[in-house]
Amino acid sequence: MRNVQDAADDTARDHRILSRMLADADVLCECGDALLAGQYRHLRGRIAALLDITIPAGEAETAA
Amino acid sequence: MNATAQQFDSEPANPFVDSARLARLASLSRAELEELQLRKLRRQLARLNATSSYYRARMTQGGLDPDKLSTLDQFRERFPLSNKTDFLADQTEHPPFGARLGIAREDVALVNMTGGTSGLGQEIYGRSQHDVHMQGYYHALPWFLAGLRPGDVAINCVPAGGLTTGGWGPGEGLRIIGATAFHVGGTLSTDAKIDLMQRIGAVHFIYASTNYLHTLTEAMMRRGIEPKRAFPMLRTLFIAAEGYPLEWAERIESLWGCRLQEGYGSTQCAGFGASTCADGVFGAKGGRGLMHLFEWETLFEVVHPETLEPVASGETGEMVVTNLSIEGSPVIRFRTGDAARFISWRDANSGRAWNAIECGTIGRFDDMLKIRGNNVWPSAIDAAVFSFGEVAEYTGRVYTSGDGKTEIEVRVAFTDAAATCDAATKTTLIERIRATIKERTNVWMTLTVCARNELPEFNYKARRWKDERQQGYRL
Repeated sequence: MRNVQDAADDTARDHRILSRMLADADVLCECGDALLAGQYRHLRGRIAALLDITIPAGEAETAA
Repeated sequence: MNATAQQFDSEPANPFVDSARLARLASLSRAELEELQLRKLRRQLARLNATSSYYRARMTQGGLDPDKLSTLDQFRERFPLSNKTDFLADQTEHPPFGARLGIAREDVALVNMTGGTSGLGQEIYGRSQHDVHMQGYYHALPWFLAGLRPGDVAINCVPAGGLTTGGWGPGEGLRIIGATAFHVGGTLSTDAKIDLMQRIGAVHFIYASTNYLHTLTEAMMRRGIEPKRAFPMLRTLFIAAEGYPLEWAERIESLWGCRLQEGYGSTQCAGFGASTCADGVFGAKGGRGLMHLFEWETLFEVVHPETLEPVASGETGEMVVTNLSIEGSPVIRFRTGDAARFISWRDANSGRAWNAIECGTIGRFDDMLKIRGNNVWPSAIDAAVFSFGEVAEYTGRVYTSGDGKTEIEVRVAFTDAAATCDAATKTTLIERIRATIKERTNVWMTLTVCARNELPEFNYKARRWKDERQQGYRL
């Protein structure tokens, strides 16, 4: 099993990537195409959920 | 209780090896876990303070400023409890979702409702796109813990779609895991399900209500199909929604040749809030096992239903739920009416700092029957009756006799094998069942035997009891 700090590093990295993706998805949701915007909101919801799921669990992730 | 966990040829994969994230959550100390809860709770309350007049009013009522919340105890002391009546009143005043919605109306991507079996009315929940994924995650999580992995074949016996959380969460959860899912619930008869499962052959996982797993097993036995020979690849049976006796669980594991796992969930939890781990529904030393609470996602309190004080480890209380991540129609300190036996993380002794509740004994405070001065829960009668392997199904009714007395009739149908026994054996069996019911409920009931096809076949949650006493007084 990998150690706690390795896992924390990975989660912190994933969380940072998802934060950037959410910012990009927010831009997509502002598009004027109603058909596409609905799908972008669908995608944004998934990213936002994953951001919650990977939220830093403790100090190890915050430090990573 | 002698029932214990059995050993199987194929044990589920270890979730804490396969997921570093889960291993990390399992490694948190109690203080770290509560710090994470507090962080998420502050965020949730701050958001609701800005978006929900229902919850803003409750925070004002309790004198609680989300930015200044410093401990979980402060939250429990100051945030008023809500119950079903509060939610229904809110919905009436602000239809259809109530002011507790907490997201913009146009951001509602899925509508879920509670079942309405209480007779009071149905709570309505508006879920966002984010929540739809979270509901899937809250189904994927216990199933991953139970060993479900990408590519596994899963049979979902719970009716899909419709208005319930249980109709939508499982599909999302199975897609999140990457399992190959057959959503057979509500669309195929029990025999058609069995035919399909036989055609598939390599089935790894079955999800069903406790009652429906009983129905499915009974139907297989009736057709002369031995589950463990018909489905040798099966690793996990996952049940939810109803209690059961351990003798039943032991028989089920023996017949299917695999581990029985259980989850505790509800619409208010937006899916599962707790589930079993490696030992399944049996404790490491025998007896009942534990469902470990996913406390980093949902804040659970288990309180005495009258004093509202937290119960001690080992005591039964009412589950009070607070969603930490759900944004559409979240519940904050909501009294579920669910009765559970609380086991503290120290007593759970799992190596994790997660509190737990006991397997197989989840009941409802509001379906309690008051019979001759005794508090009788249908789950206690289920446990008594189904501790006898000879029983296929039963129903019960409480009614008022012509001379005004409360009477209880239990109609029992035997399995095909037991039904062929001689009359004397059946009489002895009926007396033993009757005595067991009395032992567990303190009430003598009248038992009659009927044919299996005279009793209903329950496809999801069993509704075995009818209280007809009011009818007895009608003129």
